Amino acid sequence: MNDMRKIERDVDMNDVKISAKGVQVYYGTTHAIKDVDVLIQDKTVTAFIGPSGCGKSTFLRCLNRMNDTIDICRVTGDIRIDGDDIYDKRVDPVQLRAKVGMVFQKPNPFPKSIYDNVAYGPRIHGMAKNKADLDEIVERALRRGAIWDEVKDRLDAPGTGLSGGQQQRLCIARAVATEPEVLLMDEPCSALDPIATGQVEELIDELRNDYSVVIVTHSMQQAARVSQKTAFFHLGNLVEYGETGQIFTNPQDPRTESYISGKIG
Amino acid sequence: MTDTNMDGPATPQRKNSLMAPDARTKQRNAAEARFKAYGIIAILIGVFFLVVLAASILRNGLPAFTQTVVELEFTLTEEQYNDAESKVLKTAAYKEFLVTAFRENLSERGVEVPFDESAIDRIVGQAGNTLRTYFRANEDQLGQPVTFSLGASSRVDGYFKGRVTREDLSNSRFLNAEDLDIVDVLADVGIMKQQFNWTFVTGKDAGVDNPGGAGIGASVIGSFFMMLVVLMLALPIGVAASIYLEEFAPKNRWTDLIEVNISNLAAVPSIVFGILGLAVFIQLAGLPQSAPLVGGLVLTLMTLPTIIISTRASLKAVPPSIRSAALGVGASKMQSVFHHVLPLAMPGILTGTIIGLAQALGETAPLLLIGMVGFVAREYPDGIVSGFTDANSAMPAQIYTWAARADQAFYEKAWGGIIVLLVFLLAMNVLAIILRRRFERRW
Repeated sequence: MNDMRKIERDVDMNDVKISAKGVQVYYGTTHAIKDVDVLIQDKTVTAFIGPSGCGKSTFLRCLNRMNDTIDICRVTGDIRIDGDDIYDKRVDPVQLRAKVGMVFQKPNPFPKSIYDNVAYGPRIHGMAKNKADLDEIVERALRRGAIWDEVKDRLDAPGTGLSGGQQQRLCIARAVATEPEVLLMDEPCSALDPIATGQVEELIDELRNDYSVVIVTHSMQQAARVSQKTAFFHLGNLVEYGETGQIFTNPQDPRTESYISGKIG
Repeated sequence: MTDTNMDGPATPQRKNSLMAPDARTKQRNAAEARFKAYGIIAILIGVFFLVVLAASILRNGLPAFTQTVVELEFTLTEEQYNDAESKVLKTAAYKEFLVTAFRENLSERGVEVPFDESAIDRIVGQAGNTLRTYFRANEDQLGQPVTFSLGASSRVDGYFKGRVTREDLSNSRFLNAEDLDIVDVLADVGIMKQQFNWTFVTGKDAGVDNPGGAGIGASVIGSFFMMLVVLMLALPIGVAASIYLEEFAPKNRWTDLIEVNISNLAAVPSIVFGILGLAVFIQLAGLPQSAPLVGGLVLTLMTLPTIIISTRASLKAVPPSIRSAALGVGASKMQSVFHHVLPLAMPGILTGTIIGLAQALGETAPLLLIGMVGFVAREYPDGIVSGFTDANSAMPAQIYTWAARADQAFYEKAWGGIIVLLVFLLAMNVLAIILRRRFERRW
């Protein structure tokens, strides 16, 4: 029995994409994230749930150092992707963000054509040698974003002219165009209607084949539908982290239980 | 069941019909109607003053664009030319020929008007000089009939425009009432008439004695070179400063201090910039006085805060989600600014810049101190370098100079100059609107 468990744990350890230990985040004097430890696995959808202001988005933004852009924000602790400390001095956040893509709450396509939206990342990272290469990358990304069929005839049309759901899928396509290894999604469906949400969720499930996906969501149903692992945040603490099924059916912590049954939040 | 009664409303709620507004609604609607009325009154007052202003400018300024001329065919033989050039009073000799030509011309038409040489002096101001200059430059025209348009003197011009009446001339030594009889006859036979005054639009300033020959052209060129300096310096410096402050600079006490100072600079009276320019650019750096280069530098100082403030405002207005999006796909800070933020802020930046330029174009006070006022711009710049460094005037400074001169004709020129200035400002605003429209399509 003991041996079996050890092997299982080893496999788990190998699969870890992101490991965070003792992460603290301060906004000025506010202690926003308190000592969070979490291991995020590769090729898995991990959902962060919790009431508003619990710090789940803040923590997500630590994973690609987007918090660097906020002057008063200070992050301490140890966050490693594939064993590399991303807060090391030698790490250039620009390079990191190419590796860790991000999709935001509000669809935010650039006010440019659909093609240019997707091609922007590959262009600045010099991923395409020529126009044909770039065309291929754009098509692949749009297909992965499950929006190719809808936009293939109007790649020159402005990205801002699409519907909300299409815009969000365009943003996902834009994020995957740079071939990231981790995809962070900050409430990607909060601005979408149920149909668009369904499409994006399906897409997230497919993306799991290639990426480690971390999704912040307000909707517990969504977390239950798309994720394999769920982390529950409350008041800056990581209260509980585990298999999604277990969190929703048999939570260990009374706070998790109250939240998923709608008593706090 | 008293408890239930206690819980319920003490008095049954009044049920008003929706068909009749209640007192409070009436009051609110009345307040709204009053406010709208105030707004309309305010706009009407504004429009009224605008109309009065425009009307008075046009009424006073439009006459400056026409000029009364004496059109006369005149032939000078080589003999006469040599004769005149050998005399001591050369221009007087030319004037004599002109008088003869007048007499002949009039008698050919069968008009009898008694007039002498001094009358010509009073009616056609500087005719002898004009003729001499022409023939000295074009000796091949000797012996050929040449049609001259000689500018009438300022009082004759004023008589045509209704500025001068016979009563005004009762004791004037510049023009007699009898001269006006000659003028009337000349006008009748078509020798004297009014025509569009190109000299005013393209010409240079003239001395105080020759309002007819004064034009705003040279100072338009001066203003143009100044604006060029302002545009070339203020736009890049202002935009670079605002991008750094807005996007890159840490938010600390120093940047706060800089920010406050920039806002304050925008409110500094322009004459302060003028004396600064005098002290720094002319006295310290030794740049030439009255040069558009120095004027442009001073106006750059003045325009910078305006450009910085409007650029920062338009950078702020770009949604932060665009910056996040760019950073999220791995763009560097600079790439996110130059690829995404700046193009979106462009219409605002351009509008701010053109408003700043327009403000600079109309600025007079700082030019007072660096010697661009009271200067008679007698020469056009020949070439780019001399355009920047040769002494010149600027439109508002030229207008100020004319307004300060005694002759009524210059007063009219000042109003005309204001029309030219306003046309330029209007053109710049139209340009701002066009550029804005063009760049906004990128959304």
